[in-house]
Amino acid sequence: MANQIDKARIKEAAAKKKRETYTPVVPEVQLGFIHHNVDCIGCRACEIACKDKNGLPPGPRFRRVQYIEGGTFPEVYAYKVNMSCNHCAEPACLPACPTGAIWKRPKDGIVDIDSTLCIGCRRCEATCPFGAPQFIPEQNVVAKCNMCVDEIDAGRKPYCVMACMMRVLDIGPIDKIADGTYQTKARGPNDQVVRQVRDMADPELTKPSIVFVAHSKGAVK
Amino acid sequence: MIRFGRLDRSWAGAALALLLAMAAGAGATRAIAQTAAGDPAAGAKAIAELGAVLARAANSDYERAKWDPIHFKPAIDHARDEACLVCHKEVLETKPRPVSPAGVKAEQTEAWYQTLDTYAGAQENFHWRHIASPYAKQVMNLSCNFCHQGNDPREEAPQDLIGKAATTTAWPRNAPVFTLRKMVNPSETCLRCHGAFPAESMGLPPKWEETREGLESPDTPNGCLTCHAEQFRTVRHHVTYLNAKGIEDAAKDSSDACYGCHGGRSWYRISYPYPRHPWPDMPADLPDWAKDRPKTSDARFALPIPAK
Repeated sequence: MANQIDKARIKEAAAKKKRETYTPVVPEVQLGFIHHNVDCIGCRACEIACKDKNGLPPGPRFRRVQYIEGGTFPEVYAYKVNMSCNHCAEPACLPACPTGAIWKRPKDGIVDIDSTLCIGCRRCEATCPFGAPQFIPEQNVVAKCNMCVDEIDAGRKPYCVMACMMRVLDIGPIDKIADGTYQTKARGPNDQVVRQVRDMADPELTKPSIVFVAHSKGAVK
Repeated sequence: MIRFGRLDRSWAGAALALLLAMAAGAGATRAIAQTAAGDPAAGAKAIAELGAVLARAANSDYERAKWDPIHFKPAIDHARDEACLVCHKEVLETKPRPVSPAGVKAEQTEAWYQTLDTYAGAQENFHWRHIASPYAKQVMNLSCNFCHQGNDPREEAPQDLIGKAATTTAWPRNAPVFTLRKMVNPSETCLRCHGAFPAESMGLPPKWEETREGLESPDTPNGCLTCHAEQFRTVRHHVTYLNAKGIEDAAKDSSDACYGCHGGRSWYRISYPYPRHPWPDMPADLPDWAKDRPKTSDARFALPIPAK
């Protein structure tokens, strides 16, 4: 727990870092998500499994399945975009946090949060381009997806992935998922992946660790 | 009989509620009718007027309010902060916890960006910092709809449905007014002041904390003005969402007034492609980084260019 001695040390350390910007952690392996926008049926089992695992009250959702619909008859279309925290290579939430509650794991690039260190300033929520940090009003703290680090450390996959009955959501080393060398049922043999779908925030902002098998109306790059 | 009486009363209550809702909605309905009748601007302004918002809010509930027309184009363009704060006043009133659940005291925390000379005060919520803090009032002129340009209560996702074109504004680079899972478009809002310091564009080393030492002294406290006072004197900050004079005044005392928005709070790893207003004796050859830059500010934020 912080005390007066720590306060002086914190001030001293902060003064040394004056005007220095944040240098992102470069992990040994960067884990990330793949989601098949077209084959996803929008059952939201991933959302429910996530809420169940994390004991979330009504309101905050770490994972969100968004129904995208559009066009004019007969040229209509629909697809789903499923996002949680994207465990960005250069996360915006991390440098915005004044208490150090958010950090990036060097071994797998997971951006984790200890909400017991959170003072509820909600800057991480504001800075994230993908709406991942979720404010829990009853506790006045922010929480977010940590890719179920306990499951990862136990050699299993996160609850959302395990709950996906269509196998359209998966995790793995994001570079191998992107270049097609990672075996996953979320990507068919002829599927191409993209880093950004339409109306998604610019990936260059934080380099999110997610790729999509996109709908023809939704692919951007 | 008792059961019938209760039923009668419940029907009467429902009818009364319906009448009240109809009365409250009459203003919005008139405004929407004006829009449909070919005067969209007048209709949108009427929807966004404080009195109309108060009347609708008095007879609304959370679910209805989410679909209030002020949350959508074109009315949101005319919304003033007072109208937004009728329902959203908590954005300026909420406070961070004084102590985290594990005992971290807010007053003892300090992030790297909070070491700047221009950062003052306790930990506060970011809406207050952007709109109501003394420094925000000195250098900025932000309003709610600078960031919040629309909303989709159903999916938090912009939908490509019939009529979308009539309810959105053409932003530069065809950017959506809000992005997936987000109530703003960070590339067109946050990035303007929270992007990386583009030191390489100026031929400077990337570490400003080291570069500034050679540019500043007690007589010249702002190293940025070494070059940007006269040599590269562009038309800068002359937009509706900034207070250009306030920034110039603050810049006399410390380079942190400049650096704060040009790298000192860089959540993101890229820089905003600011418009590049020509200045007297500007070299004819554009550097590569400036080739796709606009030469004027976005029309929605433009002010008349001051005479030199």
